[in-house]
Amino acid sequence: MTDQVVGDTGRGSRGSARLAAAEAASPSGVRTIDYTPQRFNPTPSRRYYFYMMAPSIILLAGISIYPFIWLVYMSLHTLGEAGQPDVWNDFKNFTRFATDGKFQQGWLLLIKYSAMCMVLEVGLGVFLAVILNRSKLEKFLVTLILMPMMMAPIITGLVWLFLYNGAFGWYHWLLQSIGILGATSVLGDSDIAMFGLVAVDVWQWTPLITLITLAGLKRVPQDQLEANMVDGAGPVRNFFTVAMPNIYPFLLIAVLLRFMDNFRFIDAILILTGGGPGDATNILPVYLFDVSFQYFKLGRGAAVALTLLLVTIVLGMLLVKIFEDPKRKIKVHGGDEG
Amino acid sequence: MASREIAQYPSASRRVFGVVTILFIAFYLLWTLLPLLIMFLSSFKDLLDAFQLPATGDWGGVATLFTFEPTTKHYENLFLELNFGTYLGNSLIASLGSAGISVVLGSMAAYSLSRLDFRGKNHLFFWIISTRMAPVVAVLVPLYAIFRSLDLIGTLPGLILAYTTFNLPFAIWILKGFFDNVPYAIEEASMCDGSTRLQALRMILPLVAPGIGAFLVLCVLFGWNDYLFSSIIGSGGAKTLPPATIGLVQPQNIQWGSIMAAGAVTTVPMLFLGVLIRRYLVAGLTMGAVRE
Repeated sequence: MTDQVVGDTGRGSRGSARLAAAEAASPSGVRTIDYTPQRFNPTPSRRYYFYMMAPSIILLAGISIYPFIWLVYMSLHTLGEAGQPDVWNDFKNFTRFATDGKFQQGWLLLIKYSAMCMVLEVGLGVFLAVILNRSKLEKFLVTLILMPMMMAPIITGLVWLFLYNGAFGWYHWLLQSIGILGATSVLGDSDIAMFGLVAVDVWQWTPLITLITLAGLKRVPQDQLEANMVDGAGPVRNFFTVAMPNIYPFLLIAVLLRFMDNFRFIDAILILTGGGPGDATNILPVYLFDVSFQYFKLGRGAAVALTLLLVTIVLGMLLVKIFEDPKRKIKVHGGDEG
Repeated sequence: MASREIAQYPSASRRVFGVVTILFIAFYLLWTLLPLLIMFLSSFKDLLDAFQLPATGDWGGVATLFTFEPTTKHYENLFLELNFGTYLGNSLIASLGSAGISVVLGSMAAYSLSRLDFRGKNHLFFWIISTRMAPVVAVLVPLYAIFRSLDLIGTLPGLILAYTTFNLPFAIWILKGFFDNVPYAIEEASMCDGSTRLQALRMILPLVAPGIGAFLVLCVLFGWNDYLFSSIIGSGGAKTLPPATIGLVQPQNIQWGSIMAAGAVTTVPMLFLGVLIRRYLVAGLTMGAVRE
């Protein structure tokens, strides 16, 4: 009657106590087991997950939704100074765009700047990736070339400001020695300043394109390459007909990310030219920075910021669409390792 | 690109191509490393040496880049007179603190998002990542107002919170991918064995630990390199290295030697961290879209 339940040791002590109680309670000596496993390991409730999510969501809401509402509010009002009430201004901040030459020029310059960066970075980056992919020293070389990416953009700006300096900059000397540059300095000439900035961006971010392309190249199916070679394709043709379609979505993501980063990171430009000379490098984010923090026209700044935000969100949605498009071969989450 | 199994016979064109690739790599390495090299060299040079340039077209003069008396006076100036030790500490505390908070909160949220399905989950997810993509300049003014009303301007907690604004969405987005890779069956099994929900979460943490570690490092990197937030939110009491370096640029007197030294101090730790997490860098910088 009082024999132990076999295997009931250790963690089950609570269970055995319950069993003993059940036995004691049954008068006829028939053992009834009162044991419901579900009570000990229930599936986690949805509430449990929501609680774990809550701190992040609240924090993010505080730093994104609230500022956004504020931004909309500011853009629709003429902000009163020092205690004056804000006045509704009938979308004046937005209608002003039609006549605001710097705003329109800012968008054009931003597109021009980004386009030049993208073309150069993709061209260089992909070529480099193809070469590195064949190289035996790949690991070592990649480690070397990704160094600029680790640098703070503001430090990058300062170092290049030093290099471009008209009196003692080594790159100034180099460009003059080659004969490309005349008497002016790179950043002082409104025709050349933009190229100077593009060079800095290319220097810092080409490695990103290379890294992404390398990741893509590793996934190009070997059998397709071989089949194509058997059909008589050379390496160049092989690249454009087989490898390229495979790495294309990777490149698209890289380009979109870089494009959005050009909206976000203006540290280097602020240091190098600050939008000058004249307005030659006054791309929209720089213009926005000036309007908001140099002239303190917060309402106008907010309106400009909203246009920038809108374009960023459209680009972001595009990006997420590519992330999650099942036809493309990118596994967004759940890559083969991680 | 071609498979190793296919025999490749050395032909003239192939040899030419080989030489071209080596030249290209050499040229590219030079282009990549030269600014870094000049930064490091200039930080050890006396200003007179640093400003030495050969005459235009004098290619032999490149040697002047390397002929100088090494001096550590710029570093001494930074740390003994300009208080860079404090800024370095601020940078460390702010970036580590923010990375820590982001990764803890982020992994909790990412875990829940990975395990739970609910209506509007995709919208929530897009909203989370869009807070990361928003241009900093656009939200800086309202954020400043919020921080001022909370009395956080110029304090380290304020700066940590500011960094968290861009690190947290990033951490959630990336870490969700890692939790997605861990089968739910593991938690189920451990709960069948009697563990509680939190113990079950602890069971799978070692499986995602490498990823979490790598993104902790990446978050440190983003915080460390940030300039706009720390110059505006942290101005005053919580100056970090980047704004402190900018502070050396004065209109009439740009202290190039100290700037280069400060650049080196800011850059070197990040170079090491970058090498350390190289394997996760692609996933990190593309927000998890591309895995190596």
